[in-house]
Amino acid sequence: MSEKPTIVCRCEEITMEEIQETIEQFHCSSREVKLRTRAGMGSCGGRTCRSVIDRLVEELGGATVSNEVPLSYRPPVRPVSFGVLGGAKE
Amino acid sequence: MIDVVIIGAGPAGLGAAVAAAEHGLQVCVVDEFVKPGGRLLGQLHEEPDGKWVNGIEEAQKLYNQAIGLGVDIRCGISVYDLRKLENTWCVYTTDEMIESKCLLLATGASETPIPIPGWTLPGVMSIGAAQVMGNVHRVKPGEKGIIIGVNVLSVAIARELQLCGVHVESILLPQPGLLAGSAGNPEKMMESLLRLSHLAPSPLIRMGGKWVSPKLGARLFPKNGFKMWGIPIQLRKAALEILGDNQVEGVRMAEVSANGEVLPGTEKTVSADFVCIAGGLTPMAELASVAGCSFCYVPELGGHVPLHNEFMQTNLAGLYIAGNITGVESAKVARAQGKVAGLSMARELKALVYGGNEKLYAAVEEVTETRRNALIQFQPGIEEARKELHRKFDETYKQKLVSI
Repeated sequence: MSEKPTIVCRCEEITMEEIQETIEQFHCSSREVKLRTRAGMGSCGGRTCRSVIDRLVEELGGATVSNEVPLSYRPPVRPVSFGVLGGAKE
Repeated sequence: MIDVVIIGAGPAGLGAAVAAAEHGLQVCVVDEFVKPGGRLLGQLHEEPDGKWVNGIEEAQKLYNQAIGLGVDIRCGISVYDLRKLENTWCVYTTDEMIESKCLLLATGASETPIPIPGWTLPGVMSIGAAQVMGNVHRVKPGEKGIIIGVNVLSVAIARELQLCGVHVESILLPQPGLLAGSAGNPEKMMESLLRLSHLAPSPLIRMGGKWVSPKLGARLFPKNGFKMWGIPIQLRKAALEILGDNQVEGVRMAEVSANGEVLPGTEKTVSADFVCIAGGLTPMAELASVAGCSFCYVPELGGHVPLHNEFMQTNLAGLYIAGNITGVESAKVARAQGKVAGLSMARELKALVYGGNEKLYAAVEEVTETRRNALIQFQPGIEEARKELHRKFDETYKQKLVSI
């Protein structure tokens, strides 16, 4: 319906079309979508698009939503400098 | 090592800080934002009795109360990791590592996006961002805005933008399809709006709230929508694309049928200099996940929430949660939950004096009362969903926790 592609993951510029193709081809989970396309792997750590990826996976017949958080969270959960990680004050 | 670290200085975090500090505990509150108050800062609305609620004043009162009790409140620092040593929680912040005996996560909720072609253009923002610009920073997000997403939050914030002197051209649905989910369905959205009907000045929706079924409501819905505070709410129009070369210039929209199909030949373009996307809220539980909490998927509460009981305990010793991280509800409920968490932590640290247990049980009761009296129900079935969640928790973890 629209001429412009719809970007889902803004950090890595992954479109809805790419994610849809991946799910349909591999019938995969959110995690596999992330590993195959890099959607959700950018500098925001998937904070923006993770719910959209989960919804697409569910609607397109991938894994159904369970009690487990589909895309795991890993520290650092906020972007921080190497200095802060090394113990320096910002 | 201090007694309690609280992450989040919103109504839940500050409410807990006050309750814990009143029992002599040493408390530190950290918040990512530069000002304390959390989502209270954005609130400005008129209650049915005609009184105005200004969240900034509410936040200031809570803040003063906490400072008066000696609470250490640090704003503008983020927590990026957590670790549990034997009996200690290590909280890694962008300022320093803080150790505490108990830890409370009061991190609130985050907004759910609805991707739409053109949504990466400058001038497109989430509805919450527009609220913060207007109410907190006193900056207009633009002169003429269009809001995509019809729900309790978007209608309330549209009203606030109007009070800021911004023209809200219309509130309409996102394009129906995979990305929008139920947000693109007129019937579902009518159902959500009817829960706001007691706040609405329009007689149509006020009466509608009592007797119109969502199905009938969406069918009978006038093609040009209806108005609340003069803002057109269009449940039968959907945004197809946000237009502009270097920034937002307008929105391409079309009419949709009652079950959300785009009607061919009804497309038109409406100009605007900013667009807000309102996809709803989901509990922000990333730190609970890093800590290793068990989770439960509860749509009524907004998504995945850490498993917990009515005393705000998680399945990990010394780790508590309160506020929207436990499920999306009003700031008043969050504050009442914060009090429970503060008292629960005081109990764990043996700081509850004589009669303290009664206080704790009364605080738990207050949460239920506040929920029942809430003006806005974000989702139907919250009370039942919570009962079920607490039952699940007790079934799995009751034996393993400190006995009550």
